[in-house]
Amino acid sequence: MTDTIKIPGTSWTWRLSALVPLLVALSVSAQNGNSEDGWRLLSRYLYADAAAEFQGDDTGSKLGLAASLLNKPPVTPGKIKQAEELLREVIRQDGSADRAQYARYLLVRVAHLHLEATVSEIESGYREVLAMDEESPVAQIAASHLALVLLYQRPDLSVEARLASAADLGSMAAHPQLPEVAVSYSRTLAGAAMYYGVVDQRVLSWLEAAHEIGSADELIRIGVVLQLAEVSRLLGLNEKAVGYYQEFIAQAVPTDQRVNTAKLRMHELEVSP
Amino acid sequence: MNTKSWGRNVAVGLLIAAFAYSGSMVWQHRSEEFDGSGVEVIRFAHWQLEPGMREAFDAIIADYEALHPNVRVKQVNRPGRVWRQWLRTQLVGGNPPDLVETANYLVTDEMLARYFVPLTDYLEKPNPYNSDEPDLAKGSWRESFVGELVPNEMVHYYSANLLEYYAVPNAMMTVRVFYNRDLVKSLTGDDRAPETFEEFKALCEALKNGAREQGERIQPLAGSIFNTRQMTASLARIVTQKLAIKIDYGHDLDLSMFEGNVEYLRGRWSYDTPEVRQSLELIKEVCRYMSPGWVQMKREDAMLQFLQGQAAMLATGTWDASGILQQAQFDVGIYRMPVIDLDNERYGQGALGPISESNTFGGVPFALSQTSKHPERAIDFLRYLTSRRGNAKFAQISNWLPVVKGVPIPEMVEVFRPIADGYIPGLSAQSFGQQTDKTYESHVHLLSGERASVEAYIEATRDLYPKAIRRELVRMAKTYRETIRQKDSVMTGLHGLEESADLARSKFDIVAAKQIEVEALMLQAQRTIEDYPVED
Repeated sequence: MTDTIKIPGTSWTWRLSALVPLLVALSVSAQNGNSEDGWRLLSRYLYADAAAEFQGDDTGSKLGLAASLLNKPPVTPGKIKQAEELLREVIRQDGSADRAQYARYLLVRVAHLHLEATVSEIESGYREVLAMDEESPVAQIAASHLALVLLYQRPDLSVEARLASAADLGSMAAHPQLPEVAVSYSRTLAGAAMYYGVVDQRVLSWLEAAHEIGSADELIRIGVVLQLAEVSRLLGLNEKAVGYYQEFIAQAVPTDQRVNTAKLRMHELEVSP
Repeated sequence: MNTKSWGRNVAVGLLIAAFAYSGSMVWQHRSEEFDGSGVEVIRFAHWQLEPGMREAFDAIIADYEALHPNVRVKQVNRPGRVWRQWLRTQLVGGNPPDLVETANYLVTDEMLARYFVPLTDYLEKPNPYNSDEPDLAKGSWRESFVGELVPNEMVHYYSANLLEYYAVPNAMMTVRVFYNRDLVKSLTGDDRAPETFEEFKALCEALKNGAREQGERIQPLAGSIFNTRQMTASLARIVTQKLAIKIDYGHDLDLSMFEGNVEYLRGRWSYDTPEVRQSLELIKEVCRYMSPGWVQMKREDAMLQFLQGQAAMLATGTWDASGILQQAQFDVGIYRMPVIDLDNERYGQGALGPISESNTFGGVPFALSQTSKHPERAIDFLRYLTSRRGNAKFAQISNWLPVVKGVPIPEMVEVFRPIADGYIPGLSAQSFGQQTDKTYESHVHLLSGERASVEAYIEATRDLYPKAIRRELVRMAKTYRETIRQKDSVMTGLHGLEESADLARSKFDIVAAKQIEVEALMLQAQRTIEDYPVED
């Protein structure tokens, strides 16, 4: 038997007061407990349904609601503005450093894709995201997007300077924590160089970096191998090109239309090395 | 009774009849759904009304119901022209069929996510109906298909944005030339199918002369914009194969429509480029054998012209094979698109060889609706339908190309077997996106008839193509921007779900990587538009 201390007139007060934290916890949970559903709906392009789930006052709900509003149809300037305000609240409340950094990243995306901010504002916005934590996955993505701005939205720079400044972001953008993003970043550098008509050793190195990391998407993986073959061929590295053609032919998926053409081009090199 | 009140009574009568019919349909449908006998009813909807298709599905359904006596599978057929509206109504009304034919141009990613079930997990497990097939038994359902359902952005069974399979295909489609053997023989004295473009031209000329000599109003080729594209697209892309490699700045032997547009604005090719002129010459050579006014004709008109013996040949796809074979009152021959010899003096210089059809992907895909009352049963039927024995029966009865490995192609349609050992397609001067297609379609008459002239076509479109291609790039950039914006929200959702897990190779990582690549394209389009201005 357990002894209990009974204070006359307080038992119900005690019990009720004990219930208060429980009710508060339940209420918070009811408000925030739908986050999981909200994230799931958001990840499946169901923005309006997701927005209905994110009605809490915590930073997670605010971030989720802001992201939902960016695409909840019809997308209006009012919703974009509301999303911006919510993101600023998340940064102020600073629920966790990670969440605040994500909110800042989304603010830059809003400025870049919805509000047509100036290139210098966008560039400094991405650099602020990086400054919060250079090692985070969000920083890796922000660095890749900053590289794109430098490659294509800085006509005041020479092509060489565009490529060099984007390549300088490699330590963050090619981080192994997000290998698919790292592959994309390396392919982006090579792609921009080729778009500008630059085909040199740097392009080969960027493609080799993408090849070494390897994408889980087999179409991207074999596409990089064929690009390596073609770029090696253009640089006169015939032996290397033949090796990559062979690798492509061996690994190409059955639906790839390019296999015979690759064989033809490989034979041309073998006949006249 | 006066005329006015009689008319009113008829109208009221018709309304009552229509209401009664609708009511009986709803009642019948509900009674199927809520059959108290424990019978599971699966509804299976498609728009393939071509002869042979419904019969093929009926035969497979009968086999399946014999295996599972407590199941009834009902076909729901709706014409393709009303499919989009019909499907939307069914989905929004919350009562779509269990299995629904789909296509990426009809069903958006948002619709897929909201109304359909991802099938990736099912496809990665073996198909039990292949358990007695030694080569397929241990592999996954996905691996049992020809080409193993390699995912890419073009296919109808996979969503590149949602990164999930949403449908399972049933057939493959290629394009060939059908010909009226009786007519060809009576007009030319021979019914041998041409193999090269020169032989094809000689045949068309012989048919034209033969018809004139015999006083018949017969054209060598049945025409419509649709059928002409089928005929000329592959021929025109052969003569520009080497050009495509030359201007492919991505150096991956795959000149995309996007790259072609960028390179046009940068002045790396034009309609004066010799290979492009040759491709227009080639289109002109084909179009001169079409019936007058073909530009205004529809696909059905061309088919009728061929079946009525007013034209000797028709270029169309597997989808029309059964209809032609069943309805034609003459001996039908089928041949592959003629090839252009590499030593052809006029067209051979820029060619590598016939275009590979190895990228022919599975069509007639079926998706599972989220509101299905018997999802596992519907998947089971889909497994049976696409098992080796199911797909063999389908191909045998429908005369469509099978999509499952090892299923024999019916002898009658063997000629439709995709060309596996061809080369890459070249630049297409007739199809460079929505904007340029309109320019082509409104001027192709200049490449047709007795006074056809490539020069006239080029001059008439000289000022139009730069504007059309610029508009196309603007349109593409806009589409890319929309995709990127959506991915920002989607990635936030994935981050919320996965933030505490290892993100390497996660969906978050994959979607972020795809977003970077699409953003690069959008910015390339913007850079090109800015650096190479065109007055609009």
